[in-house]
This record gives sequence, structure tokens and C-alpha cells, in this order.
Amino acid sequence: MARVKNWQINREMDYPYSESRPKKQWSIIFDLNKCIACQTCSLACKTTWTSGKGQEYMFWNNVETKPYGSYPLAWDVKILERLGQQAWKAKEPYYGKTIFEAANANEVVAHFHPKDEDWMYPNVGEDDCAGNVPHGDHITLPHDKWFFYLPRTCAHCTYPACLASCPRKAIYKREEDGIVLIDQSRCKGYGECVRACPYKKSMYNTHTRVSEKCIGCFPAVEQGLQPMCVQNCIGKIRIMGFVNPPWKMRKNNPIDYLIHDQQIALPYYPQLGLEPNIYYIPPIHADREYLTQMFGPNVDQAIERYKKLKDDPVTQGLLVLMGSTDRIMHSFDVKDGIAYGYDEKGDEVVRVPVTEPFIERTAYDANIKSLRNNTP
Amino acid sequence: MKLKVLFLLLVLPAFSQAADLVAKKVKEEFNKVLDPYAAYWLQAPEVELSLMAQPMMKPKPEKTETSLMKVQVLHNGNYIAFRLRWKDTEKSEAGKLGEFSDAVALEFPVKSNENPPSVIMGGKGDPVHMFHWRAQYQYDEEHGKKDIKDIYPNLAVDTYHMDYPDNGNWQGATQDQKEAYMHGMAAGNPQSFAKRAVDEIMAEGFGSSAVRKDQDSFGKGEWKNGEWTVVISRALKRDKGSVLEEGKGSSVAFAVWQGGKDEVGSRKALTLYWTPLKVEGL
Repeated sequence: MARVKNWQINREMDYPYSESRPKKQWSIIFDLNKCIACQTCSLACKTTWTSGKGQEYMFWNNVETKPYGSYPLAWDVKILERLGQQAWKAKEPYYGKTIFEAANANEVVAHFHPKDEDWMYPNVGEDDCAGNVPHGDHITLPHDKWFFYLPRTCAHCTYPACLASCPRKAIYKREEDGIVLIDQSRCKGYGECVRACPYKKSMYNTHTRVSEKCIGCFPAVEQGLQPMCVQNCIGKIRIMGFVNPPWKMRKNNPIDYLIHDQQIALPYYPQLGLEPNIYYIPPIHADREYLTQMFGPNVDQAIERYKKLKDDPVTQGLLVLMGSTDRIMHSFDVKDGIAYGYDEKGDEVVRVPVTEPFIERTAYDANIKSLRNNTP
Repeated sequence: MKLKVLFLLLVLPAFSQAADLVAKKVKEEFNKVLDPYAAYWLQAPEVELSLMAQPMMKPKPEKTETSLMKVQVLHNGNYIAFRLRWKDTEKSEAGKLGEFSDAVALEFPVKSNENPPSVIMGGKGDPVHMFHWRAQYQYDEEHGKKDIKDIYPNLAVDTYHMDYPDNGNWQGATQDQKEAYMHGMAAGNPQSFAKRAVDEIMAEGFGSSAVRKDQDSFGKGEWKNGEWTVVISRALKRDKGSVLEEGKGSSVAFAVWQGGKDEVGSRKALTLYWTPLKVEGL
């Protein structure tokens, strides 16, 4: 075991391999306040990568309703149960155990092994609300009945549990972009990564008899393009880019800005210790205890900041850049009500108004001397 | 530190146990799939070996199901055959997600029969040669590889890319074009294609095992009354592999996986020592 720095829990921790950060780290930020679970991302991924035999059940990208949805069944409940109760105070490092530290002497990580049927209900719990809605009930704020949608891909973790547990060393993390891949020519399908990944994003293919996972759409990323799930997100809730550790944070990098500067995007289940690289802007109307369990003790601060976005044109500008281009934005700028996104060379790839112009049309069109109506 | 102590235990000659294996020479044909219950096995002495849970490489099994294996060996001057028996309460051939296959493996040193490398997967520059039988592989050999519809009969799929139920005016795709959508196959992983009952594998340490493309071995197992009986026969001399010589001694080690108990990969029961093997002359 080596000691490695995990900035998300703000301390050193045990990991089987020594710290080796990639030159760039693939990352996605999701604004959960905007996700409507249309599953366009799931289908974009499915038609691109998992339409083959043995992949029928696979969703490298899935969207589940929280708290009752899960794919595979109860993955989050089971890993938290396996980890046991741990404490984490706001503004302090996490002193509880990670899954590497909670493993028994025979294992690389504390884990559970999903069964066949656990994978068979990708939309279980969809739109199920936490709490009953009796007749005559009405909405109050904050919502006492709540749910939210959680889109998930592989988090291409800085400390992947899949990689750590593979006895064949068939899993590797790319130096150029931090994408974690299972070598399809070396894997023997032992399923250790399926057991070990707490997010359950390694999946076994019964036809090819090897395990597979989200590949971060590396062929697109290599060409400066965002992954298919991001490109196709109709709600424009996602942005893919490269995240730096806080000590290398660059304020004009859209990802760093939301995670490190504004701190409104948080990793999910950081206490597991993998330093996952998908980040979420937490939903403002869901239960805070639940959100704290999922996103850590800084979730209150993130939500309070998000609520004040109307007074922050720069962050607003960045949020409208999300989903406005297929290209990866390495930096951004907001000036005079326009948000600009730039590629790695610094060339502009997109510009959008922070606030769309509002045009009111009169009921009478003088040009053609006719009343307008909205009947199609 | 713990690993070092274990390693010392492994190399201590005092730790080796049981009787040596002796392969009698017989006039039988062994370069084919053998019958596990053939009469000639009656003349082969039986040695009982102890197995224990793999203790070196994480992930390790908490415990393993197989603690004893009965071994018999015969040879005919060109091929050597092993008959292996162990208790297993259920037959597991894998297939569905999270299901693993029953399996057994023989391991031989390559460089030196008298001075073999680490019994667990050999070492760098000092390879081992393994013969890995799986119930799943045997199914492939006897019936062909299970299609997804055999594994999940009620599975509903509209269509697979390049594999349309109605091709219309199109000629249809080649196997290569179809396999482009099946990543393991597209990458040429031998694991993804129909197998013969026995895989021949070379390894030089943990995680280095690679399936040989050439093969001169045969396997056949039968599960009856809570017991597997598996016979594996191999050529005595394998090019760039282990070579056994008539009239001389060698070493062999064994591993067993009970797939139904989630034993797979490094979660296995094995003999923690090289068992001396004598290939008798006439």
C-alpha cells in the first residue's frame, strides 16, 4: 500500500499504487437542477458503444431517480452499508474510512458483488418520490417530498478501485487524459472490477466473456470533442473538460472554476476514496441529509452559492456555455453579457449571450396587415 | 513482511507432503479426448493432495471449498494423462452475469524441472506452463459457444448492428463487421471465442498469464454424485513450454476453482508446493 493525496477528502489515504496523476484529467460536471431524466444521454451512449451482443443490459451512462432508483439494484445502499457508518465534519478532512481502508486483509477494497438480477431493472424507482403524496397535498419550499435525477457515467477516478483490484493488471489509466480503460485483449472476465467499483460502472459481457466500461468517448476526446452523452444532452446540463487538482487550479478553466473557485460542483460519494471525476451541482430542493451523505459536508455551501447565481454574471455565463458546443472548452470568459468558450489553442469555439434577448411581438403585424395568432 | 514469511514456507522442503506422483507407462492412446472412467485408470496409483486458499495475491479467497484432490497419472511415451477428482456439490458452467465456471489447472516449470520457480504463477524470466480446464470451455468444445439467447432465453432485442433479421437488398455483414461491435472479439481476445476444453497458458509471475495459440492437450470432465472427475492429457514435450522426460523426475502443481462459490481468477484453491512427478520408463 502506498500513501496518496486525495484532495476530495483533504488527506492522505492508502492505495495499492503510488500517486501518479495524468497530464490532464477527463471530467464531467452535471447540473442536477436541470436534468429531466429524458435518457437521451443513455441512448446516445447505448447506440454508440453498447449495441453489441452481451451488452444488452449495459448502460455505461445511466440516469436514475434518487433516492429510490438505482442501477444496478441498490448499489449505493449496499456500498454504504458495507463501508459502515462514518463521520465527516464540514471544513475538516474526512477521517472516516475509504473503501481501500475498510477492506479486510484478503481484499483490495470493501465491496459487494451484484447478482444477475440486480442489473435487470435500469429504471427501477423512476420518478418515485420520497414520501407519500396524500390527496389535497401541495408544494411547499423546501420540498418535504422530493426526488432528483442522477445521471452517471464512469468517473474515471484518480484512484480507481477497478484498476487496483484487477489481478491481471488489465486496467489502465491513460496518462494523456486520465481515462480509465479495460484492455479488451487482456481481460479474462474474472469480474474483480465489477465487484470492486463502488459505483458499479464495470460491467461483464456474457458474450465476449470479458468486462467492459465507459471509455469516456476517448476517440472524440482525442479530437477535442466532448463525449456523446454530453453532446447529446438536450437539457444542456453537462460540460466535459479537464479538472486540475486544487493546487494546479486555473480559474478560467470551466471545470476548475465550478469545482475549485465557486465550489458549487461536488464529487459524489467522495468518502469512498476514489477521487471520482464526475461532479454534480446538487439539486436545491432535495433533502439535505441525503445530499450530505452523497456529496459530503460542503453541500450546503454549494447550494447557497448556486441560489445566488442571479447576481453572478460570470458563473451564469459559464452555465449557458454548457451544452452550447460539441467541442471541449479549455477556458472561458464572460464580458459585456457574452460568454465565450475557447479550445486548447485558445481559439474561440463558441459564444452565447448570458441572457437571451427578449422580444415581444405585437398582436398586429403591420407589414402584412394581419393579426398574428399562435394557431399552427 | 508477511509475504516473505509465506514465501519461505513455500520453499521449505519440509512443507511438501504426500507421496510423489508416479506416471506409469501404458500402451494407450492419449492424444485425444479421454474417457474419465476408462478401465486403464485402475492400474494408476492414486495420490491425495491437500489444497488451500491462495494466500499470496490479493484479492484472496476468504476460504476455498476444495481441500483435497485425488490425482492419478499415466503416460505412453508421447503423452501424459492426469486424472483429477475432487468434491463439488454443484456443477457450474458459468453463463449468466456473476456466474463462474468450475475449473482445474495443472502447472509445470519450464526452465528446470528440478529447480522450479515460485509455484504461484512462476517468476520473471522463469516461466510456468499451465493447462487450464474449465467446465465452460468444455461446453464450448462439445456444444459450441452459448449464444446470448441460450443464456437468457427471454431476452428481447430489436436488432444488433450489422446483424439485421431482414437484410432487404443488402448482402449482409461479414463476421468481422459484426465482431467490430463486440469489443473483446474485435480486440482478438482468445477469451471471447469458442474454446477447446483446455487452455494452454504461459506465465512469468502474477497477472502475466497469456494463452498460447498452439495447443497439444486435451481435456474432459464429468460431474457425478457431487464429484468432478477430469482428465487432462498433454504432450510430454512442448515447444517453448514444459518438457517432461521419460525416466526422469519433474514437478507439477494444481489449482481448483468452484465457480458456484464465486471462485475465479486469484480466488482459488491450490497446492502450495510443487509435487514431485516421476515419468517412469518401461
